[in-house]
Formats: sequence, structure tokens, C-alpha cells
Amino acid sequence: MREIKLSLKEPFIPPLDCSVINTDNFYQNSLEEIKALKIWRGNREVSLEDVFSIHEENISEQGDIKIYIEGDLSKARRIGQGMSFGEIIIKGNYGLYLGAHMKGGKITVYGDCGSWVGVEMEGGFIEVKGNVGDYLASSYRGTTKGMKGGTILVNGNCGVEACGWMSGGIVKVMGNSGIFPGIHMKGGIIYVKGDCAGRAGANMIAGRVIINGKVDDILPSFKIEEVRGSVKVGDEKIEGPFYVFVGDLSDEGDGRLFVHVNNNPHLKKYEEYIP
Amino acid sequence: MKEYRDILCPVCGCLCDDIEVNVENNSIVKVQNACAMGASKFLNFSKERLKNPLMRKNGELVPCSLNEAIDHISRALVKAEFPVIYGFALSSCEAIKVGIELAEEIGAVIDNQTTVCHGPGVQGLQDIGQVSCTLGEVKHRADLIIYWGSNPQDAHPRHFERYSLLPEGRFRGGKKDRKLVVVDVRKTATARMADFYIRIEQGKDFELISALRALLRFEDIEQEQVAGIPKEKVEELAEMMRSCEYGVIFFGQGLTQTIGKDRNGDNLFALVRDLNKFTKFLVMPIRGHYNVTGSNEVLTWQTGFPFGVDLSKGYPWYNPGDTTVVDIFRRGENDLTLVVGSDPLAHLPRRATMHILEHPLFTIDPSMSLTAMASNVVIPSAFYGLEAEGTAYRMDGVALPLKKIVEPPEGILPDEEILRRILEKVKEIRGK
Repeated sequence: MREIKLSLKEPFIPPLDCSVINTDNFYQNSLEEIKALKIWRGNREVSLEDVFSIHEENISEQGDIKIYIEGDLSKARRIGQGMSFGEIIIKGNYGLYLGAHMKGGKITVYGDCGSWVGVEMEGGFIEVKGNVGDYLASSYRGTTKGMKGGTILVNGNCGVEACGWMSGGIVKVMGNSGIFPGIHMKGGIIYVKGDCAGRAGANMIAGRVIINGKVDDILPSFKIEEVRGSVKVGDEKIEGPFYVFVGDLSDEGDGRLFVHVNNNPHLKKYEEYIP
Repeated sequence: MKEYRDILCPVCGCLCDDIEVNVENNSIVKVQNACAMGASKFLNFSKERLKNPLMRKNGELVPCSLNEAIDHISRALVKAEFPVIYGFALSSCEAIKVGIELAEEIGAVIDNQTTVCHGPGVQGLQDIGQVSCTLGEVKHRADLIIYWGSNPQDAHPRHFERYSLLPEGRFRGGKKDRKLVVVDVRKTATARMADFYIRIEQGKDFELISALRALLRFEDIEQEQVAGIPKEKVEELAEMMRSCEYGVIFFGQGLTQTIGKDRNGDNLFALVRDLNKFTKFLVMPIRGHYNVTGSNEVLTWQTGFPFGVDLSKGYPWYNPGDTTVVDIFRRGENDLTLVVGSDPLAHLPRRATMHILEHPLFTIDPSMSLTAMASNVVIPSAFYGLEAEGTAYRMDGVALPLKKIVEPPEGILPDEEILRRILEKVKEIRGK
């Protein structure tokens, strides 16, 4: 097992493109080579050592690699990009594109994260202890490829448009969600334990959006199908009962929107439409 | 006295090209055909304008020479690690081209007013695609005209008269052959002229569009009201849209800057796409500044992206939310701001603007704006379409020539020339 510790030397103004900080890249390189890796600070290329102090500990034959990163990284981008194994642990707030295009391994953040966590993610596990920004497990703007696989667990709230254009994988948000969870969704599951600000499942074609808390309104392009006792999110069984809506009919979609019955008494009017 | 005909009006996105202007002793004395906004600019633009470059010394803005100002800005640009260049909706396409070259040279983020205006509509276009046309086609053929979250009677006063409702077209004879529908949160001047007015609940545009799209697929709506409108009225609107011969939706910031933003545009474009299964239907944004469309066009043909382009790594990268100015300012990431013909301090959110003031701020603007007052260096520029010629794009993407009708005050250059001199100086400092 290689354990590599990075701690931020001093706060910085311009954004920091840290796409080289991923387990695959570090595993292939010696400590000296890692220190000399180039990253972008604004429009300047600097070496990793200029920004972080870097130490290596615990070299043993067993296990693969763990990277610890410390400091206020709220302007950092692309840590863990495309990684396929090992683990990254971030202590502090983090910026954009965490685990972009990630294929495997694990990332844990002890703090809040910015937007595009798990953008175009294909596999692996991301856990954020705090809140995340917008476009969780989503696509880049203007593209139609969201998260394909893997799991994301957010212990806090998420912003708008979580799981946009998602086609596979599981996302669990233990707090509340902004508007448009599951927009343009083509597959996969998003579970929001708290409340949702609305427009859940807009333009979805397939997949599941599960809202356990309160949601003010259902889009007019959704049709009620039934009331179901429980729903499965991966291995976990979430107890209901849930109203099950089909949609988005404006896109001839066949996705399912689950909304908890007990937390949404104002949706009782839909029961008369149950076929 | 000299008389000019067919002059372009450099005010709004209508870019009316039939203005007649009389000039006497290098000053405009009479304007014909222009709306109140246009006439006011033609007659009053030279009042309260900036005549000297200014530089902040000991906390005060004091006059300086143009060379001194350009030298100061260029040195700061070369030093900056993440500069932002913002503006260009009031510049010519030629100036925007030089601005992009400068951004590429110094590794800057370049953004235009689209970012706080019709950017969400542009993003909707990228997701779905846009069925559109030129305004001439609307004039000759449209029989159903829908204004959604836009109020041209107040903001684009000649839009009705020249392009949509009132003109005699080849196949339509003015208002009698056309139907006007207005979707808005309040009864605006435009809504008062409507044959069918829909008062939509604030921030519920997406819901109404979704309902219309579901109705077009012959689905039933399981709600009594959508967006505060009775279901029957929504069905009536859907039927009206489906049965027209040639429909067009003009949408404004009432749609793009309300809750949902780009997803409203996205869903609207999808609605228009769906409508084309039944009839001919088109959609067009009502753009504000006269060359904001041009700033998108030039940026797109030069970099591939319409606004919010990050060139800091030497190649263009675009992702609104990351590379757009409001977000960069809000996160406090840039260390220099160069403003070209815009007033971000007056228009952007307060938290975003507070960051601009912490770092060097430079402005190129014909008049003294709030941003200019707070800048470290201000360079006055000439007014395009009045004191300088160039190219501008109308809201439907038609390129038109801006003409020079009066001489600018001595020593005042257009944006293009100022930016070119800065670019040359930057190259000189960097030893190229």
C-alpha cells in the first residue's frame, strides 16, 4: 500500500486544474515524479510541488494506493478524473468536477463539494459528507451523456439538475434536492431522502426518481399509475407507501417517479385518476 | 447639411435599417423612422460622454494619455494569472474578433452579455436544436405570433411594425390575417394588444410547456390547473398552435431568466420541434443589445462556443456555471477584469461584483458607467453605427453593416483599434 499525503501550501486565487491527481497516475510514478507533475493554476503551468507539500508513507506490498488531500480546495477541479482503482480522501471543501469520468475506486470528501460531482462517471464510489452543488452525476452543459454507472452518496443537500442525462448507476441524497432531479434521465436511480424543490423527472425517458420527503407539485406531463408499498434502491429497500407516476409523457417517456404518500397529503387528489 | 438614408439603428436587436438622419456641422439634427429609443440615441449620444483616457492615481481618476493607458493595461494583462474579458454586445464583430485574439494571447476567459441574458436560450439550442427562420419569413408568412415572456411594445418598439404583427407581407395582409398570443405574468403593453392573453403564474413556464407538449401527444392532463391557467384554456392554446398555418414564438428574458432557465428554453425548443409534426412552427429569441447576437456568432466561429469561453489553457473550454463570469466572480477566481462596452457593476449580482473591485479593473466604454467610475483605467471609445463602421447581427442572425455618420471627438478610437493596440503592446512585452 502506498499512502501519499498532499497538503495545500497556501490559498490561491485562480482555479487549479488538478486532473493529474488521480490514483492511476500516482501509482505509476515515484514520489519525485509525482512532485514534478504539471498542473494548471489559471493560465500558468506549475508543478504539483509548488502548490502542495507532498509526502509518502507506509509503503508495503499489500493493497494499492491511497491519496490524502488537505486544505481549502474550493477552487480545485478534476481531482480523481478517470481513476479506476484505489482511494482518495479529501479533508476540506472541494470545487468542481470531482471524480469526473471515474471508472472505479473510491473518493471520500469530508466537506462540501461544488458542481458536477461524478460528471460522466462510469463506475466506483463517491461519498460526500457535506452538501454538493448543481449537476450531481450529470453531463457537461450541452452534451447528452450523464453518469453511466457507479454509486454516489451525498450526506447533505444537492443543488439543481441532479442526474441530468444519467443512464445508469445509483445516486443517494440524504438531504434535500433542488429543482429538476433526474432531468432527461435515460436510466439509473436517484433517491432523495429529504424534500425536492420540484419538477422531478422532467423530460425523463427511463429510470427511477424517488422522493421520500415533500414535493410541492408533479409536472402536468406525468400520469399516476399506482400506489406501491416499497421501492428498491440497489440492495436497500425503502418503505413507502409511494405514489408511482409515469413520465415524462411530453417525451414519450416510460420513467417512474416515486413520491412518498404520507409526506405529500396534497397529492391525494391524484388517487381518483388511478386506473 | 448632409442627408443619410437606410442607416442602421444601433440600439436593440431589431437593428432597424431604414433610419434617415440629417447631419449638420458633425452633429445629428434630425432623425426619421426611428422609435423613441433609437431617436434618443441618435440625438443625444454625444452628451455626457467621456473624452479623455483616465487613470487612477492616489485614489482619483485623472486624465492620462492613450499610450499610458494602453501600456498600463497591457502590462497588467501579461501579469494576470486568470484574467476575464467581458462585454462586446455594443461592439462591432470586427472588434470582437480582436478581443478573442487578445483573450487567446493572454490566456483569458472571454464572455459576453449573453451570460446574463439569452444564454439559457442558447443552451437550450445546444441540447435540442432550434427550428428558426429570418424575420422576413415571419413578415411574409406567419399567421400565429406568440410572444412568451417578452414585451416588444416597450423594449423593441418597432418589432410589431416591421417584422411580426402589422407589416403587409406577401401572403399575409397585416393584423387582420394574423393572431397574436401573449404569455406573460402581467398585462404588459404587448399583452394589451393580444387576441389571446395567457396570464401565467410567476416561474411556471416549464409546467405550461410540458402540459402543451403532453397535449400535442394526445395525452390527458391530470390537473385542473396548469401554471395557474385552467386546463381548458391550455387545451385551447394547444389547439390554436396545432391548427395554425405558420406559427412563431418570440421568447424573452421572462422565459430565460426565470426559474428553470436553460431548461425552459430546452423544453420550448422541444415544443416547437413537436409542433412541426402538425404544421410549420418556429422559435426565435428577442435579443436585447444590437450586436449581442454578433458576439455569439463571432465567438462561435472563432472558438466553437457562443459565450463563456475559457482560453486559459490555450484551447477553448466551455461549461456555463464554470466558465461564465458571474460564477467566476462569485467564486473569486479571476485576478483582473477588462470590460468592453458593458457595466457589470450595475447589472451583475452584488456578491459577484464585490470580487471585481478587489483586483485590477479596466474599462473601454464611450460613456462614464458605474464600472468605469470604479476602474483603474478607463479608455473612451467611439460609438459604433454613429462614429465608427462595422458589422452587427440582427436578432435573427442576419449580418448588417453599421455606418459612420459623424466624426468621433479627436483622439477617440473605436473598440477594434483600442483592442488591437493593446494586443500589439502585449505581444511586444512578451517579446513576440
